[in-house]
Amino acid sequence: MAIETPGKRFGKRLRKSKVFGHGHAAHKSTNADLLITPLVDMFVIIVLFLIANFSATGEILNMTKDIQLPTATHVDELELAPVVMVSNDDIIINGISVARVADLARDDYFTIPALEEKLREQRKETEELHQLANDGTAFKGVVNIQGHKDIPFRIIKRVMFSCSNGGYANINFAVLRGAGPGGEKTASLP
Amino acid sequence: MAGGMDLGDSKGQKKALDATINLVPFIDLMAVTISFLIMTAVWTQIGRLQVSGGGGGDEATPEKDDKTVPVTLLLSEKDLRLTVGTSTFDPIPIVRDAKQQIDLTKLNERFKDVKEKLGPDQTAITVQTEDSVRYEDLVHVIDECIGDGFPSVSVAPVST
Repeated sequence: MAIETPGKRFGKRLRKSKVFGHGHAAHKSTNADLLITPLVDMFVIIVLFLIANFSATGEILNMTKDIQLPTATHVDELELAPVVMVSNDDIIINGISVARVADLARDDYFTIPALEEKLREQRKETEELHQLANDGTAFKGVVNIQGHKDIPFRIIKRVMFSCSNGGYANINFAVLRGAGPGGEKTASLP
Repeated sequence: MAGGMDLGDSKGQKKALDATINLVPFIDLMAVTISFLIMTAVWTQIGRLQVSGGGGGDEATPEKDDKTVPVTLLLSEKDLRLTVGTSTFDPIPIVRDAKQQIDLTKLNERFKDVKEKLGPDQTAITVQTEDSVRYEDLVHVIDECIGDGFPSVSVAPVST
């Protein structure tokens, strides 16, 4: 059966009728042309916006609700490096909890031995990989500390000491980029 | 524009000058690109503040320069004390705004004075921090130091 356009359809008897067959209220075209131009314009704008915001490095930090980062304006681009997460409860590296913050508050050591050990292992692995790949670049020892904004410095201090002792002396504090005094985002000084 | 205009020089059959661009593949490409970009987009703008210190390693220790003098900022819960060489400035009491952020306007002015006296070569500063200071306050002070022309920030605990 042939496909017919939607609308009133009269029976065979009335189809040829002058009144019902052809003469009923002015035919409204059932084919509506879709306007492509605004659609293409919109697509182009969206693509340009997304490309402008595209980050080739991807997500280096795993954002969790336990860790609220502090805000800073004079920041650099985050580097791909081991991340030490410091929340109110735990100290985590590579997704593994190495110490509990409550336990650290009790003792008076300057370092966190488990964290130091993990970082040493990681440094060894990285250096072995670089040797296997015949990569002559020197080990930079960069580490990112992703700390909760309310953590006291006594915990951060121990994390920093452990990182330095573990061979990661280039310490970066991960922060959220905030707006500058005039509302503008500012880059770090050279 | 001569598109679609009859130029009148053809002898045989006229060839239509209007060409319709097929937009369907273009829209398909756009749709795929948008999907890819949305899936790979990073919405949180995260940066880093580079600091040195923490003891232990020696890779990040900046070389001592004879032209510069040690600039130290002692950060406690109550005040900020700036020391340049052997001279110590008056402590700046910590005042917080509505967002509980430290107001660093006075420190900014003091940094400007120090920069004028010491010149642009002075880029290193040590932020000595008390144990009870919140990480957010430390980051705020480091950010201010970098913004005021001291990009080489070392963080150290208060020596007891």
